[in-house]
Amino acid sequence: MRIKAALLLVLVILSSTISTANSGGEGDAVRSRDCAGSCHGSSSTNGVSTAILSIEFPEDTYAGLLMEIKTSVEGVDVSSSNMVGMAILVNPDGAKDLPANDGWEVITDPNGGSNNYVEVVDAFSSQTTVIQSWTLRAPSNPGVYDLFLAVQHGSPNGGVAMTGVSNSTTVEVQEVPENLPQLAPDWTPVNTRNLGESTTITLETLNTESAIVELKNGAEVTEILVVNNEFTIPAAVNTGVAEWRVILEGEGPTQTSPWFRLTAQEPGWEIDENALYLQSIALFLLCFGLVVIRRPTEDEYNKNYDTNYISDSTRGVIAASISTPEDNSTINGEGPPVPSTGLPEGWTMEQWQYYGQEHLEKLARGEV
Amino acid sequence: MISSGTLHVIATELTVGMFALSGVAFLLCLIKKGPLSRESVAHWALLGGIIATPFAILTGLDASPGEGLSSPLLANKMLLSMTSAGLAIGILVRRKMGGEVDVRHASTGMISVALMLTTAGMGGEYSRSETLLFFVPKETVFLFPVWASILLIVLAAVMLGKSAVEHRS
Repeated sequence: MRIKAALLLVLVILSSTISTANSGGEGDAVRSRDCAGSCHGSSSTNGVSTAILSIEFPEDTYAGLLMEIKTSVEGVDVSSSNMVGMAILVNPDGAKDLPANDGWEVITDPNGGSNNYVEVVDAFSSQTTVIQSWTLRAPSNPGVYDLFLAVQHGSPNGGVAMTGVSNSTTVEVQEVPENLPQLAPDWTPVNTRNLGESTTITLETLNTESAIVELKNGAEVTEILVVNNEFTIPAAVNTGVAEWRVILEGEGPTQTSPWFRLTAQEPGWEIDENALYLQSIALFLLCFGLVVIRRPTEDEYNKNYDTNYISDSTRGVIAASISTPEDNSTINGEGPPVPSTGLPEGWTMEQWQYYGQEHLEKLARGEV
Repeated sequence: MISSGTLHVIATELTVGMFALSGVAFLLCLIKKGPLSRESVAHWALLGGIIATPFAILTGLDASPGEGLSSPLLANKMLLSMTSAGLAIGILVRRKMGGEVDVRHASTGMISVALMLTTAGMGGEYSRSETLLFFVPKETVFLFPVWASILLIVLAAVMLGKSAVEHRS
């Protein structure tokens, strides 16, 4: 029988499948590729993604300036959630691979945040190519840098978690030419805003005599006037992304910034925190009071804290069960007297000293 | 180096474990089954859970993205946990005062445990959008007006004062 049970157990264990962890994603974050243990189970149980991955850079990349890159994920079937986790990395090793390790800064990710790892839900399939835009600030030191695109996603039939990483994409970060019109190194675009609110953005520029802002609205591009380095993007009626860029003119060659994305979202949830804290305190005190107001009766108190105390009902049972009057003298600090029938079955004297009183009371109530 | 998220998991598991143990022991008290030590276990585990709760709250605040109460779930977690804490501390104080572990006492202990476990379950809903507690309100907070909360505090103060006077007399 034991062998059969053991065989059955082994069979059940062997029939188990590798499950995909966190099929609903883990959320956007600054994340290394070495998240296999927490995101997709053990790395040894992952499958290799068949996605064709690539990164596209602009023609010129200047040290410390903003730039836009496009990542593409092509030809892969994913799970029914159509979600793919994408990460921009500086090496495929799983250690010290964050863009910041090489001096890159993610200004705007495809989801409107500023993370190197994002989870994108789109029409991923073996027939399609999904392209996403990222705005990065290039490292401040000129040189040659590598970037990688890593992905992780589920498989159409569920089960195995797939991971993949692109080949190295090399980019040369150049020294900033003298007098190049540019956005100030410490200027950062606004990424999000609430619905129904127009957004005034202040530009900080260097070597710039004039600036023109272009706002993309679908396929149409409109120009917005920049006054005193400020311009206003009209309020959004629906949630979505407004894209804009600035064309900077000065003594040096004219520069066009990457498209910046401004995501309109529902206003955040708000509550009167003072009222909430006050209600919490009120509920705490009320519940505390409701329990404590039911103060114990004298009988309850004595039962718990006076080891010499014996209730009237118990006393009657004791009187009936004790054969000799002198046994009453044993009602002292060491528990109630032992009944004439002896200790209950299986009890020790020590147990009787502690729990004998309760036993007698239960006897009196007819519960034993 | 441990992240605040990991620390929060440790503190939460400690709290939930203590409360769950207490709940089982209170259940045994309610049905009057099991070892005699059930009463001690119920109250000591409840005390342990209450002690661990502030650590869970503080690490949770630290681990939570954003600032302040940014979700109805967080507001409901606060209301439920404070209600549970009030009941739990009341239970412990009443026991300390010599209260018998009768049906009402054990039931109140179990309600306190249930509220705290619901609070913990809402954490799963908040962080991973997954919970078995399908009835948990996700977008609704029952918020009293300030005057009602003050009235309740006064009422509680009167009850506590009455209880203290009766206890002394």
